Amino acid sequence: MSDHIDGPRSIGDPSIDLTDLFAFTSPENPARTVFAADVFPSAGANAMFSDAAYHAIVTRRVTVAGTGDQAKFQPGDQEIRFSFQFDRLQAQPGGAKPIQSGTCTLPDGQKLKLVCNDEKGASTPDGTFRVFVGLRSDPFLLAWIVAGKMRPFQNLLEHDNVLCIAIDFDTQKVLQPDKGSLFGVIAETTPIPKTGGFVGHSVPRYDWVGRPEQTNMRLNNPGLTGSEDVRDLWNQQTPFAISPKLMPVFRQRMVESLKNWDMRDDKADWSAAQLEASATVLLDDFMLIDVAKPTTDESFLEIEKSTLNGRPYETGGGRTINANDIDMLLTWMVNRDREALHGGAASATQPGSNTFPYFAPPNTQLQSLMQSVDLAASPEQVWAVVGVFGDLSWHPLVADVSLAGSGPMQLRTIETVDGKQIIERLTAEESSAYTYANVSGLGVSDYSGTLSVRPKGSGSTVLWRAQYLPDGQPDIIVKSILGALFKSGLESLKARFGAAK
Amino acid sequence: MLQLPPATDGQIATINLFSARDQSWNRFWRMPQRSGTAELIIEQEQFAAQFCGDLEAFDRMETLVCELAALEPEAAPTFLIAAQVACATHRFSEARSSLQQAVAKGAAADATDRLALAIDQATGENLHRVLAARRERAAQPGSWGELIPLGALLADLGEFDEAERIYHQALQEYPDLSPFALAWLCFQLGMLWGETASEADPERAARWYRSAIDYLPGYVKARVHLAEILLDAQRHAEARALLEPVIQSVDPEVPWRLADEAACSGDSAREAQYLHTAHQGFETLLSKHLLAFADHGAAFYTGSGGDPVRAFDLAKLNLANRPTLRAFEQAYAAALNVDDIPAAIRLQEDARARWESIKAFQFSSLSAVGSAPTGQDNPSAV
Repeated sequence: MSDHIDGPRSIGDPSIDLTDLFAFTSPENPARTVFAADVFPSAGANAMFSDAAYHAIVTRRVTVAGTGDQAKFQPGDQEIRFSFQFDRLQAQPGGAKPIQSGTCTLPDGQKLKLVCNDEKGASTPDGTFRVFVGLRSDPFLLAWIVAGKMRPFQNLLEHDNVLCIAIDFDTQKVLQPDKGSLFGVIAETTPIPKTGGFVGHSVPRYDWVGRPEQTNMRLNNPGLTGSEDVRDLWNQQTPFAISPKLMPVFRQRMVESLKNWDMRDDKADWSAAQLEASATVLLDDFMLIDVAKPTTDESFLEIEKSTLNGRPYETGGGRTINANDIDMLLTWMVNRDREALHGGAASATQPGSNTFPYFAPPNTQLQSLMQSVDLAASPEQVWAVVGVFGDLSWHPLVADVSLAGSGPMQLRTIETVDGKQIIERLTAEESSAYTYANVSGLGVSDYSGTLSVRPKGSGSTVLWRAQYLPDGQPDIIVKSILGALFKSGLESLKARFGAAK
Repeated sequence: MLQLPPATDGQIATINLFSARDQSWNRFWRMPQRSGTAELIIEQEQFAAQFCGDLEAFDRMETLVCELAALEPEAAPTFLIAAQVACATHRFSEARSSLQQAVAKGAAADATDRLALAIDQATGENLHRVLAARRERAAQPGSWGELIPLGALLADLGEFDEAERIYHQALQEYPDLSPFALAWLCFQLGMLWGETASEADPERAARWYRSAIDYLPGYVKARVHLAEILLDAQRHAEARALLEPVIQSVDPEVPWRLADEAACSGDSAREAQYLHTAHQGFETLLSKHLLAFADHGAAFYTGSGGDPVRAFDLAKLNLANRPTLRAFEQAYAAALNVDDIPAAIRLQEDARARWESIKAFQFSSLSAVGSAPTGQDNPSAV
């Protein structure tokens, strides 16, 4: 989530919203490099790529054109482009989940056919390129609240997934580092020209990303209240060639933002000249990687930092999957590495692995079921009937309940009218809601159910919901069992208290 | 017709919407106080209701409001979301009240202004002021999303040429790939030529509805509107083929129109079965969200639903809730349908007093100068 939902435009189709870019030495084979980009913040379990945009990762050779307060990275003119186009869905027999295919056009013009979510990926016959596309666990770690006073927080992306594009390639053959081993990398989503030509305005690109958090933290720093949102304007810029006409606007914003970050701890660690130099470097927004040097989980931004500090860089820079890059970025911007800042979580939901496709499998999406009923009685009247964990006498499908223990952790054993037994454990209780876990009887795991009564109008609403992972039987069966249980219980309350008018 | 902008395939976009919505709900239950999640859920649920016929989305939005009220009863986002949901379900006075509280609690002015305009537009209040504000907002850079409500307002006011121009501008300037907004635009153009314009052009309307369905095959409302045109044109088999794929939707207009198709085809058993389903569906919706579906219910009971008295009651309720010209027209037709001529005359007078100054009134069934309604007036012309 270097720039998840990073502008009003991106909110349109989230599947073209680029969230992150990675560039690192393959942990499987140091002679190979990996470029990867993610789209679709908080993608659901069935997420698919847009078939109407090109997704591309592009790199150019870069030279160090200045150091210290004159720090500058100059990109070359020639680009190396990996371009992806995805197809419409292919229906599968028997109502199985549809499949999405795609094509990767490699820098040498070869076309590689891909099937989304195939963990083995697709390779060129000579093995120079290997590509994966599909849903993975979001490796991004954002464990800070940065609006207002900065404070560590739990990972805001916990359990999230993204659509991932990962290219693993032979460094020598593809990048020829002997001609210069420092590269700048970006990812972009752009329109596919329509055959016949659409008469109208066509945007040059939908989104692009270089270093993490260029838009949401730097250009749209939440600490700069009242500033105009320039994220869409930035996203319309051509990577490696920001409009000279607009550059003063972006520069002014970047310097203001960096000043604000510097003062977040009420200590000035950056001189005016250093802030200007840092702005210059950060406005050249591409991920720097030196493919002749090793990348590690700590090497993120090292090329920029060393160059700004007036000394030669030592690592490959880049950005690995497990780099805690927001802590590193904030530390650099706030106190210039004087003192390490740590967010409220040390790692993402799942770490990346050392084997292709490197990004962890998608997090299993919990299934949800919720039903409610609006009643003509007050919350107190309704809660008096439904609010006792050990008493389900109001429920028409329950024949008997026996209770073991008291308070939190007490167990109820439910005998249903059709002879089934369900065991549940109380996990939390408040004035008008209780939460419980399922121990057995439903074919689920990680089950969390909540029954709550809230005021609504002159009456009340009863909400019964559950989240769970199916375990041992298909979700459709679990949903129909739970659905019947919830519905008959709630309907019986309507008969008892009357439906809200 | 314009060449239409490209968009992500509708099937992909719909799968992405539903699965992202489920993810948002999971996140909400896990971290209910996380900023932005509730707002995202509202947006996703509104899309599900509007474009996919998932009318249970309204129930889930109500649930969200109750949960937020329990979690953060005094927070500005709680009031703002309550106002949004009340507006979406046409409880406009409640929406205004929640909006006032959101403003008092410091909700962002842009969001509250936008919602205030939406409420005024939906209830036909201060339309000239709303028009000026809509024009101003649409002139701002990066304000593509303001063009559709501006076009809709112009159409309501009878400024059909300008409405069409604005819709075409929106098509030409579309900056995104989501098919939802494009399908909506095409639907609005279908409505413009099929129902709003002074002289209906059903063929033209049908082309726009088809474009909306091309963008989003599951767009239930567009299928229903297109099916109505096809039924009027005696193209029964096409209408049926259009509706049957979305019969699983909970939108009762689908079985209603299928019942009409069955009646036209002389299949009385199928007609009765679909009418029964439609009747149950409307009553379920009306029992949960009376104001949101009062006008739809009135239309159903005026037509195949066969209960003109209930239709008139619902039409009056809708009119009291939002006295738009369209609501007057519906109530007027319903009054004539039950031969309540004094009520029809009163409605005509009230409508004239309120709406005579706008161009749309000239084309309205209510505008006939000096012609008191008679029992022979044809309600179906409305």
